[in-house]
Amino acid sequence: MSPLTAAFDDRARRTPEAPALIWRGTAVPYGELGALAGVFQERLRHLGGDRAAPVCVPARRTPETLALLVAALRDGRPVLLPSAELGADTLRELTAGAGIDRVLTAEPSYDGPGGLGVETVVPRADAPAVPEGTGLLLTTSGSTGTPKVVPLPLDAVGRFTAWAAEHFGLGPDTAVLNYAPLNFDLCLLEVWSTLAAGGRVVLVDPDRATDGAHLRELISAHDVHLVQGVPLLYRLLAEGADPAEPLKSVRHVVLTGDAVPPRLLARLPGLFPDASFANVYGCTETNDSLILDAGPLLPADPETAGPLPLGRPLPGVRALVLGEDGRPLEGPGTGELLVHTPFQAHGYLDPARGADRFVRRADADGPRVWFRSGDLVRRTADGTLHLVGRTDFQVKVRGLRISLEEVEQTLLAHPEVADAVVVTVPDEAAGKRLQALVRRVPGSALHVLALREHCARRLARTAIPSDIRVTDAALPKGPTGKNDRAAVGDVRRLKG
Amino acid sequence: MNRPAEIKRFLISEFLPDLSADQLDPDYDLLATGVIDSLQVVRVVNWVTTRYGVPLDQVEITPGDFRSVNAIDAFVTAFEETRSHHVHA
Repeated sequence: MSPLTAAFDDRARRTPEAPALIWRGTAVPYGELGALAGVFQERLRHLGGDRAAPVCVPARRTPETLALLVAALRDGRPVLLPSAELGADTLRELTAGAGIDRVLTAEPSYDGPGGLGVETVVPRADAPAVPEGTGLLLTTSGSTGTPKVVPLPLDAVGRFTAWAAEHFGLGPDTAVLNYAPLNFDLCLLEVWSTLAAGGRVVLVDPDRATDGAHLRELISAHDVHLVQGVPLLYRLLAEGADPAEPLKSVRHVVLTGDAVPPRLLARLPGLFPDASFANVYGCTETNDSLILDAGPLLPADPETAGPLPLGRPLPGVRALVLGEDGRPLEGPGTGELLVHTPFQAHGYLDPARGADRFVRRADADGPRVWFRSGDLVRRTADGTLHLVGRTDFQVKVRGLRISLEEVEQTLLAHPEVADAVVVTVPDEAAGKRLQALVRRVPGSALHVLALREHCARRLARTAIPSDIRVTDAALPKGPTGKNDRAAVGDVRRLKG
Repeated sequence: MNRPAEIKRFLISEFLPDLSADQLDPDYDLLATGVIDSLQVVRVVNWVTTRYGVPLDQVEITPGDFRSVNAIDAFVTAFEETRSHHVHA
């Protein structure tokens, strides 16, 4: 019996006709999803071997896949849930490296329920054991190398779903939009907290995930209570929206993953007139850690507004800000953020890969495991944390410490800048040369001199990029929509 | 080509490859906006002094003289005026 599925099964027994999922316009009731999970459970048992052995299920967003996950979790099998987009070799390597011998896929039930694809993998002999009590094994979205595997303890997930249900008022009558891919930690809120609370998950069809009109229609038609997403989702929802038809059912809007550009933020209160807005900070390793009631900050003038603060620790979360000397800052100041959350993993599956990220250190109440976020934050006098950038993206140019992301934010604050990426390239004289690639808004004649004046008013001279190229083309992006700095190259080689 | 236009063409070809001549205001502050940094200003000084025959050992140079197209032009003009004084003296 798994705490992740106990509430789900309870719901399936008591109100089998209540919708658990909305998929391509059709409701999938709790009873039906639970029964399909039962079929999968039988098939899994017939595969033989240890009934509680971990399995790998690539994260396709389909009701069948969710039923398969429920089936595995019911039997206490930890589930490795990698992106469904992984290449076949990477998927096998990841699975074998986690000591798992089966990759399972739920097939759509055209001619009979519970079609199951099984691929056998030879697990690596030296693979670390999956820790006792693990529910899901998620992977980090690192852009280089094999992703790191993050085993999430069932009790940690349970604490999270309980917090989420209370904080966002999730219950049997609430619908939550699921936009994030199923392997993202965001689904602990969108999918697992919703199902644990007996609500319904409105699954976005991956084939229509970039169709703003469809997404608005989905939210209105299914009375969606909570929307969570990265800036891309809100851009899709805001662009082309009819001001006369706001999304009135939404009570909670959760902004996460990246800073929402101020001009987009300013449009959100009109789009969601009856919602409160939360800016949520977290990562796969720790889950949600910080939260900000963003509503009061949204109507600010987008021309002068900076990025939203990260906010303050969630209940039970502890935050440390380490200064340059490696000691925790007592009051205001800038440094790397370390967090300890009730929802976190104890480490990566392969402890060797996490020695520098999961660190033991004591605070006033004793020693505990902290996660080094790699994020550079500024704490103000009232305790609010602001994101400055990644510690990885902090560079030294002529002795001055510069955050690439801070320079990007400065460029983005120009009204005619639609997107910006800042990188460094090696430079013989200065060591590093700061460069910016900027996409201007459509129809703009913005040129580099106006941008430089804009920067000169806001940045130290050394932080003004040596080379700025203005383009009308899209900037290179990684899989989650963040800037792909490695793909930018030396902007001097680009045609103007 | 007159001197300001020539200075402008040099600055654009060296530091502002995307720009056309009419976009660069002759008073635009090239130093404060980082178009020319403290190392690159040496390149500008070299070009200006070579092109207009300003002997480096006979003039006092401050970075501010190279702040803009007009500042550079004024710097060269000032030098030419002192030189003509010397010739007539």
